[in-house]
Amino acid sequence: MKMKYYFIGCLVFLMSCSKDYLEKKPYNALPIEDALKSEADILVALRGAYASLRNVDLYGRTIPVLGDLMADVTYQSLSNSNRYTFYNQYATPVVDGNALGLWTAGYQTILRVNNIIASSVDGTANARQYKGEAHAIRALVYFELVRFFAKPYTDDPSGLGVPIITTFNITVKPKRNTVAEVYALILDDLSKAYSLITQTTNSSQFSKYAAKALEAKVHLFKADMANARTAALDVITNGGYTLVGANNYVTYWQNPAPLSNKLETLFEVSSDGVANLGFDALGYIYSQNGYGDMICASDLYTQYAATDVRRSLLTQGIRSGPAVFVNKYTNIITDRDDTKVLRLSDIYLIAAEASLASNESDARNYLNAVATRRDPSFIGFTSSGATLLEDILTERRKELAFEGHRFHDLNRLKRTINRSTDYPASARTIPYPFNRRLLPIPQAEMDANPNMVQNQGY
Amino acid sequence: MKKKTLLLMYMLVSVVWVYAQTKIVTGKVQDENGALLGNVSVQVKGTKLGTVSSVDGTFSLSVPATAKTLIFSLLNYETAELAITATPITVKLTTVTNNLSDVVVVAYGTTKKPEITGSMGVIKAKDIENKPFTSVDRALQGAVAGLQSVASSGTPGAAQQIRIRGIGSINASSEPLWILDGVVINTGDASRLTTTANLLSTLNPNDIESITVLKDASASSLYGSRAANGVILVTTKKGKSGKTKFRFDTEVGYSDIAYFNDDYRPLKASEYFELTREGLVNAGATPAVVTATLANLGSGNNVDYDWLKAVTKKGTQRQYNLGASGGNDRTTYNLSAGYFRQEGITLQSDFERWNGNMSIVSKATDRLTISTTLNAGYVQQNAPLAGGSFGNPILSSYFLLPSRAARNADGSLNITAPDFGPGNLHNTIATAEMDKRFLKQLSARGAFTAEYKILENLKFTSRYGMDYNVLEEEQYNNPFHGDGQSVGGRAFVFYTRLFNYTWTNLLDYKLSFGKAKDFSTNIQVGYEAQDSKTLTSNISATGFPATTQLTFPVVAATPTQASATGSDFSFLSAFSSASINYKNKYVLSGSFRRDGSSRFGTNNRYGNFWSIGGSWNIDQESFMKDVRLISQLKLRASYGVNGNAGIGNYDWQPTYSFGSNYNQQPGSAPNNIGNVFLTWEINKPFNVGLDVSLMSNKVTLTADYYIRRTSSLLLDAPLSRTSGFSTLRDNIGSMENKGFEISLNFSPVATKNFQWSVNLNYATNRNKILSLVNNQDIITGIFLRRVGQDFQSFYAPRWAGVDAANGDPLWYKTVTGKETTNNFNDAQRAILGSASPRFFGSITNSLRYKGFSLEAQVYFSGGNLMQDAWAAFYMGSGNGPTFNKVLRQFTDRWKAPGDNKATLPKYVYGGNKLAQNPSDLYLYKGDYGRIRDLTLSYQLPELLATKMKLNSAVFYVRGTNLFTIVRDKKLPWDPEQGVASQTNLNVFIPKTITVGINIGF
Repeated sequence: MKMKYYFIGCLVFLMSCSKDYLEKKPYNALPIEDALKSEADILVALRGAYASLRNVDLYGRTIPVLGDLMADVTYQSLSNSNRYTFYNQYATPVVDGNALGLWTAGYQTILRVNNIIASSVDGTANARQYKGEAHAIRALVYFELVRFFAKPYTDDPSGLGVPIITTFNITVKPKRNTVAEVYALILDDLSKAYSLITQTTNSSQFSKYAAKALEAKVHLFKADMANARTAALDVITNGGYTLVGANNYVTYWQNPAPLSNKLETLFEVSSDGVANLGFDALGYIYSQNGYGDMICASDLYTQYAATDVRRSLLTQGIRSGPAVFVNKYTNIITDRDDTKVLRLSDIYLIAAEASLASNESDARNYLNAVATRRDPSFIGFTSSGATLLEDILTERRKELAFEGHRFHDLNRLKRTINRSTDYPASARTIPYPFNRRLLPIPQAEMDANPNMVQNQGY
Repeated sequence: MKKKTLLLMYMLVSVVWVYAQTKIVTGKVQDENGALLGNVSVQVKGTKLGTVSSVDGTFSLSVPATAKTLIFSLLNYETAELAITATPITVKLTTVTNNLSDVVVVAYGTTKKPEITGSMGVIKAKDIENKPFTSVDRALQGAVAGLQSVASSGTPGAAQQIRIRGIGSINASSEPLWILDGVVINTGDASRLTTTANLLSTLNPNDIESITVLKDASASSLYGSRAANGVILVTTKKGKSGKTKFRFDTEVGYSDIAYFNDDYRPLKASEYFELTREGLVNAGATPAVVTATLANLGSGNNVDYDWLKAVTKKGTQRQYNLGASGGNDRTTYNLSAGYFRQEGITLQSDFERWNGNMSIVSKATDRLTISTTLNAGYVQQNAPLAGGSFGNPILSSYFLLPSRAARNADGSLNITAPDFGPGNLHNTIATAEMDKRFLKQLSARGAFTAEYKILENLKFTSRYGMDYNVLEEEQYNNPFHGDGQSVGGRAFVFYTRLFNYTWTNLLDYKLSFGKAKDFSTNIQVGYEAQDSKTLTSNISATGFPATTQLTFPVVAATPTQASATGSDFSFLSAFSSASINYKNKYVLSGSFRRDGSSRFGTNNRYGNFWSIGGSWNIDQESFMKDVRLISQLKLRASYGVNGNAGIGNYDWQPTYSFGSNYNQQPGSAPNNIGNVFLTWEINKPFNVGLDVSLMSNKVTLTADYYIRRTSSLLLDAPLSRTSGFSTLRDNIGSMENKGFEISLNFSPVATKNFQWSVNLNYATNRNKILSLVNNQDIITGIFLRRVGQDFQSFYAPRWAGVDAANGDPLWYKTVTGKETTNNFNDAQRAILGSASPRFFGSITNSLRYKGFSLEAQVYFSGGNLMQDAWAAFYMGSGNGPTFNKVLRQFTDRWKAPGDNKATLPKYVYGGNKLAQNPSDLYLYKGDYGRIRDLTLSYQLPELLATKMKLNSAVFYVRGTNLFTIVRDKKLPWDPEQGVASQTNLNVFIPKTITVGINIGF
């Protein structure tokens, strides 16, 4: 009898011994402490950070779209899928989903790179390379955030910027740093990136000179022309990149894949046949086989000469009336178009603008290097002074159209945005300053963070 | 020779002697009403001698002269012992319903009625068997007070939602825990491609002996962290010793739409074009544009196609079930097999089930009993798309223009522009022919149990139970038309496997003590381990050959998905229950369970759950002995704590996930903050109840009042997004449900030939949110979650009607004011009502006259609102002008200035001032009553049955959902639209008429 009790007792307690019984691990994830232990882990996490830039509200679509839509480059067709309508009208509410997405995805990306930068893996060339790229990504994201959510540096460096977060803390409720502090962080990150990065993978990852190119741009946005010129010239002379010409311009834009031949692209965000945004991809909102909502402003179209190769990527058609369709992004099935972030032509135009005060001849040369490559029958600008500046800015509008640059250029220059009659009558002249030229700090952030201060007018 | 003669003589003498020692006893057996009872077993006590009473209730038995007592027994009647005095004997048997000895299945065992301290509902086999329901959860509607069982789709095999005593959670599950023969089983919809499916559909309801629904703390807390939403205990049929009994049940029938409101039929071509012409003029279109637009839409093409008629049909229904049960005094068995087929009432909707069930119980030794149950079912199901899918046949029947025909003049399918070009709604007649959507679901559920009697009153039980479900889903979209067209055809094959085992070890100790053994106690101690593993794999491909005959990814050009993953959880539990009973008068019970789960954060891995309950059987008091009127009077009360562990398997774990890939190389990213404190939601139910039986159980009443407070509800606390995360899932909110439940049975007439009994159950529930994250409102679609309000509060502007002067839509500007506006954005949103019924229940009348019986169950539910979520398109005053409209849009629209009868605004092509936006124009009173079941059956007289060598034979004709009465005459769709009361263009809920035969032999 006693044996039986013993036997039963054993049975009952047999399973209570196994402590592992309640340990269940997910199939697609690792505990945070196991995720960033080696050089290989850091590389994988770095890809995750690049992939984050593909978010629909970062370079996936919103950043390039808003940079033109809020300016005078593209407008929303009357027949549309109701995306970015508020931006077309300059009536963005504080609860707008794209502003929220840009803010949220921006800081998500910052968290991804912060973890890489904070990782204890260090010392090897590869680790330095990966951390360097992480610094460059962080600089890029802060640069976008500060340009969308804060007043231009050229207006008020001590104005409210965005919170600087460099370490992971879920309970954080930060105040907004000043614009100058954010720019300081960006330049610090870029200088680290420049010194840490040694390898050039391809155009979809930051190289040394891609980081330098971004630095040139950041200086330009500070109106620090001397440093902008120095950085731009470093890229032009030492980078080994070549400008795309009229003969290969169309195939350059048709190609959906990253480049390894240092042709034109300094940095782009890659989408491929598997990892892409599908209907939310950038091309879909331009292509008339997709949503086709974004139409080239008619006054911009007339600026392209008939012989300008860039005009071959625009076609005239009918969509709620006559419309100019944009064919820069045509890959809307299988491998989707990458989003160009930094191109050598942009750097040439930065060099031109930054040389204006110190060396007008240089300025004209850098400008013409781009302009004559686009229109082989064009002999080049001969202007000077204020006219030359206008020529540079017009060329920027034409060359970088549909890539999301114009709005920020007009902001740093504190210029009125004069939009064509394609735009809603209520939003054709956007003066500077104007409250809605800044995106609203998202309501969700305001609700969760008592230290956050909203932009004026929201 | 001499020897032989002697022997023969001796034998003869002995026979005479033996003969001399017997006597004949005759008599008759009656029930308490005097009706004669046949088939009653009559046995001489202490022997195996016995007989069975005949149909007229009489019996005759020769018994030894020494026999003193006869035992009379019949299923569902109290066994009687009677001394053999004079013959003939007359015996009255009393039914055991609500009797003291009635045994009820409860958590981890059975108990007798007086010992129950909790609130529970019991459903017997006859209320579940032979119904035209694809799963047993559908049969629970109206069966138990306080249990809400709602369908949202009439698709055969569709998921069913069950809420016991209201909704107790916001982000975790609100579904009850299901236990089959003591084993935790997976329920719900595990499909991933199928519109709607139900794991329980593989279980044949005919294999179920009884269902117990545990509602309060005392009844359910022994299931610890999974008891909060109630527990449903299902017990399958077991064999009985004796001659093998066979049973054959079959039925055939057909189904049709249960509720259809003719005011909402799709328009005919002439009506649609009249309306559209008016809408274009109202929108300011020039005559040329009007003509061109109408021509574009097919005006004047002489086509008037009835899409609703084309996609709906009468569905057929049939089932066959065969069972055998029997055994000897050591081993009993029950075996059964069944086939069930049901067609839905739309295209592409059907369901087939094959299943088998086996139960064997064997007394291996006097102390050891081993038993096994195995239940396996295979389902093949075809469910059409629902909601806004272009391939949804119901959507197409309301949205496709009558000027578009499914077929061309030559009979071929019309699948090209202008009617069905890319980007247009699909021709669902074509896709039904050319596409494929299948779910194949296999479930095997079984348990092996060993029960060892250590002592007469100490029992050890070990049970290992398994629950294995496999789902194969196949979808094919042809390359010519529909969802597959843009990618040259596509196909998916998804595989899902759920394996779940539960091992339970239990000691059960019973003891009587005290002076006259006045006290009895029952103590249980147990240990349980459960482990559940899910595996899923997805394969899909695009680019199919130009045929519809090859439908698997193997022939496709481009693989698009090839991935697999899993999801697991485990529970470890120790538990104990104890009850003490004094003379059946006072019963005190308690339970305790300690649950650990992989789902709980490391800092809160184990939780303690308990209950305490008491009952006072007043009828057992000596002062009640003379009160003949009252046969039972009992007060019950209970309180306790249990939990809701229906939370994500890995929610608490801080992790980096993989899949943020770049350039087709692996990438990782922090995906979950995790929360090591994250844990179960807490539920604290309080219950008081009363059980009364009057006039020898002619009237029985059970009433319960409950308050259950749920707290630590999982909510997402907003974070500053600068952290890199948006929200942190935490145990924050709280909610309350309280209500009243009543079950009443009475028999107004009970004579020998005619019996009439009535059963009523009724329940109310009030839900209130008590706290949220920072007590901030949460708006989820049209629902507002606000502290102090019902969880399912509809929140939208108040509709103020139509401006008679110009036909504008009007809304009230403020929540209570009278001022109106034609600007939707100026109208404040108000709480308009709840999607949850305030009351529901059923009334069942059973009439029996000789062999005929008629049973009618009416289910009713009300006090809620229902939202027609798609009305914006077919009744949106011109919104979506290229889609067809319903009749009410045509008849009720504003037509001319001064039109003050119109209930819908001026029809404007493209929409009239956001009239289509949610408001109470599109909310309807959800009150309804429905004849859930109407069955007329005839039982063959036993004499006749015996002649046909049958034990019994019953013929019946049954109507299910036969009539539906709604309070709101404008209700557009069936009032049963899921727990959230929102329409989703689902397959219509069917009404079914079946005829069937049940034969026992």
